[in-house]
Amino acid sequence: MASAVPSPFLDPGPTASPGSLALLSLRRDLHTPLILQSADSEEQQVVNTRFGTYPHSTLVGLPWGTQVLASKEDSGRSRRSGKKRKREENDTGARDIAEEEGVEGPVAASSGFAHLVPPTPESWTMSLPHRTQVVYTPDYSYILQRLRVRPGDIVIEAGSGSGSFTHAAARAVFSGHPDPSLTSADNSSPPAKKKCKFGKVYSYEYHLPRAEKLREEIKAHGLDPIVTITHRDVYQDGFSLHTRATAAGKQPPEPLANAVFLDLPAPPLILPHPLDPSTPIRLCTFSPCIEQVQKTASTLRQLGWVEIDMVEVAHKRLEVRRERIGLAEDEQGRGAKAGPASVAEAVGRLKEQEGRESVEGDDEGGGGEAAGDAEGADRAGKEEKGGKGGGKGQGKQGQQSDGKEEKRPWRTGRLVHRTEPEIKTHTSYLLFAILPRLWTRDDEERCRRRWGKVAVEEPAVDEVEDAPPIVDDEAGKKRKAEGDVDGSAKRQKIDGDE
Amino acid sequence: MDTSGAIHSYIRPNTHIVLRLPSGLSKIVEIQPNTAARRLPAELHAEALSSNHATPAESRAETADDTGGVEFDIVGENGEVLMRSNRLTVDDPTRQALSMEEIEELKRAGTGSGKDIVAKIMASHQALGEKTSFSLAKYTLRKTKKYMKRFTVLPLDVSMLAQILLEREAPRIMELREEMLGLIGAWANVHYSGATRDFTNGSGVGRIGGGRWLVVDETGGLVVAALAEKMGILYPEEEDEEEGEEAQPEQAISTEAHPSEARPVEPALTADAPSPPAPSSDQPMPDAPPTSNPLSTSDPPPPSPSHPRRPHPTTFPPAIWLQLLHPSDDAAYAEPPLVPEAELATWKAGKRGTYYRKRRRWERVKRVVDETRAGGFDGLVVASSLDPVGVLRACVPLLRGAGQVVVYSPVVEPLVRVMDLYSRERRTAWVVRQQQQGQQKGEEDQEEAVNGTEDLETEEEDEGFPVNPTLLLSPMLQTTRGGGAEGYLFTATRVFPVEGKVEARGKFSKKRKVEPTNGVS
Repeated sequence: MASAVPSPFLDPGPTASPGSLALLSLRRDLHTPLILQSADSEEQQVVNTRFGTYPHSTLVGLPWGTQVLASKEDSGRSRRSGKKRKREENDTGARDIAEEEGVEGPVAASSGFAHLVPPTPESWTMSLPHRTQVVYTPDYSYILQRLRVRPGDIVIEAGSGSGSFTHAAARAVFSGHPDPSLTSADNSSPPAKKKCKFGKVYSYEYHLPRAEKLREEIKAHGLDPIVTITHRDVYQDGFSLHTRATAAGKQPPEPLANAVFLDLPAPPLILPHPLDPSTPIRLCTFSPCIEQVQKTASTLRQLGWVEIDMVEVAHKRLEVRRERIGLAEDEQGRGAKAGPASVAEAVGRLKEQEGRESVEGDDEGGGGEAAGDAEGADRAGKEEKGGKGGGKGQGKQGQQSDGKEEKRPWRTGRLVHRTEPEIKTHTSYLLFAILPRLWTRDDEERCRRRWGKVAVEEPAVDEVEDAPPIVDDEAGKKRKAEGDVDGSAKRQKIDGDE
Repeated sequence: MDTSGAIHSYIRPNTHIVLRLPSGLSKIVEIQPNTAARRLPAELHAEALSSNHATPAESRAETADDTGGVEFDIVGENGEVLMRSNRLTVDDPTRQALSMEEIEELKRAGTGSGKDIVAKIMASHQALGEKTSFSLAKYTLRKTKKYMKRFTVLPLDVSMLAQILLEREAPRIMELREEMLGLIGAWANVHYSGATRDFTNGSGVGRIGGGRWLVVDETGGLVVAALAEKMGILYPEEEDEEEGEEAQPEQAISTEAHPSEARPVEPALTADAPSPPAPSSDQPMPDAPPTSNPLSTSDPPPPSPSHPRRPHPTTFPPAIWLQLLHPSDDAAYAEPPLVPEAELATWKAGKRGTYYRKRRRWERVKRVVDETRAGGFDGLVVASSLDPVGVLRACVPLLRGAGQVVVYSPVVEPLVRVMDLYSRERRTAWVVRQQQQGQQKGEEDQEEAVNGTEDLETEEEDEGFPVNPTLLLSPMLQTTRGGGAEGYLFTATRVFPVEGKVEARGKFSKKRKVEPTNGVS
């Protein structure tokens, strides 16, 4: 299934098709993931949510983004009726047909709805089953931006965790599938190209059940051509995917990644493992403690990484609402704060009470009028804003008599915004660094052959001779200076092999 | 598909690179053979840099130890320098024995990396021992930054350009930070779409999806460039390094489609424009040639010898609001008269050329406008000083179902208003009103509103409902990082509301009749 149909994350198509992962968006932060079942299947699948029951047959075939009404419980379940197919074809006239069918087909419930949306790494991050701490959108979007992850890139991730970064990275590196049957739609691409480079994500997880769960998810999501999940302790074994037999050979360490994301407790233990020497490598480590960052940074310096930089992403979500304070009719209602909105209103209220006490026995109207006078200006302004809604100079009693339709809580009160109390980012420190590529004499020679024609003057050649030793020299010095030959020596060796 | 990795791996001639100086400043340098890069601390020659035009990018041009030559412990290993205080420190400039002149002389004489200068300065400080370890560290770092002749070579890509522009001309790019570029890309769900299946919509006129994003960009093309980078259409396709050997050199010398002009944001600059800024709505298209310069959408600078194949501006066709909303009012949309071939043959060559040019321009404009108006876009990204309400009103109906909406603003107020216009309460009121109107007016009117197919321009602005609040799901307002120009992002998902009565389910604090959003968010 996964290999035949493009991943719904990358190409969901216009409508929800059977077999595809879909999300029922119930609230902003509440999505229920489901794999849509074909209407032909024997047992009719049903999704039960806090906001109603949704048989799959009411979802399959709908355009993405469609609002769906909940169905009555027990309707449309298990018992198949011939009319169900008809029901699907008619997306919009749900209720009429449901009535026709009685209890046989899905019947729209009196309340409850959801929106059917295709999965994105963002909505998946909100709805995925938590196995570990999740890397949320503000973090992974920044990391991928900083690591310059682009279509066609190779990314290493360790550990995989719950897979939120995995999905986002897969979207970022995606550059088509090697399978020609999938890329056939892309007629515009030049067929003459010798070799296409396809983006890949290599994800490592040392916790076996987690690795297996994620592998299942990736397969169900149709991302398995892009993502390779490996169960491994990378501290010990590094990233190389070569078998032992070929590892002895000259081949560079697979995968040839140009971006590495480490979300594990001890990045320094991994860093000495060999990485692709033929490209600059951008690294990000994700550590909750500053001590981990210090250790990692020190190791990075020893191993020749540059541009070492730490960032903490402070992300906030803002809540926008209307704050209704005051005694005026418009300001009353749900969520309103009792009490005067201004000094004038407070004074008016007091005057009203004073008036009542002094003219005890008088009818209510008198008091109301007094209040109305005092609040006159203030209230007039509010009425203007609120249109025709609300009472005219009526006192408190106006509340009961006024119909609900008259109120417009959505446009009265003061528009305010503030940070939402629940911050859904894991406050970790992001440490970035770049490992320069190795530059060998072979590289130099190749470039001279390729670009040499551009040069006009001869003297340039002299300088060329000086250039390659820079790298060697640097590494050599480092070895002397640090005494720790582990990392740099390894990179040296790679150099030597070539 | 796109092997962008290779071009960021080493320096090629006739490209732009970034030098990160020890001071933390960045400098854009164009690599041209046989020229000297001036005003660099080290006066390095470009030939040396590009070493006959190839030096490992992102490698140090100068050998040096990691912390700039002077190793020190910020915190003493055994704790012996750890708790020294600054109680006895004498704040006196004479404590530095080296005078300004002497330092200048050292700089002139120095042939080394600058490490020696820093070492001398450190040695000449009479009271170095009095400094706390922290202040010593800071002192060393400061001197290192100032005197080290060392820099890191980095490729000029969108993030780097954004960073440099933010340092220098933040208002030109609407103070768009790197983390915002990342967030915009994520929420807009922008990705490579070269292999995306193509679907026509029900009426057969437009397309649904197909890897097309609608962008309203007033950042001089930075947003478009960032999106194009994520779609894999910004950089030219390059062969693998190993294959570079066999490749013809002539082929390989192609224009770098870097957004790396000396005046990168000039073309679309609107700050001092006499008329109100012309909004450009751009559609990055996957089938566009990969070579493209998004920063020259409206007015490409004249071709220079170093850029023989300057990307054509039509890659991201600019369409203005008039064309989008009232195409028939725009002269460019009106078809120039068709002249029969026989008559054309009698014309002079120049006149004929003008005729064909006009026809081609019209065809291009008509294609862009028609496709834009047909809608079905995968997403909408707005970074504009225009009121977002009007932009959303015009553009949201052009999105496919579940298309993503992202609006960036350097200040929060416009987006607070947008949030309010899509608030739950307003949606409730809208649904109620639609029901009442539907009962009065009949069905067809309502259906239009539900599908968002009502004519973009004809419906007069409805007081209280400048936008249809049911067309967007999960409106969210967010910001990242604190201080200065933080930047704010409005995100939402385009949906198709159900017609008729909709009732929510869930726990409510009070009984309510109609509620277009489940529960309390």
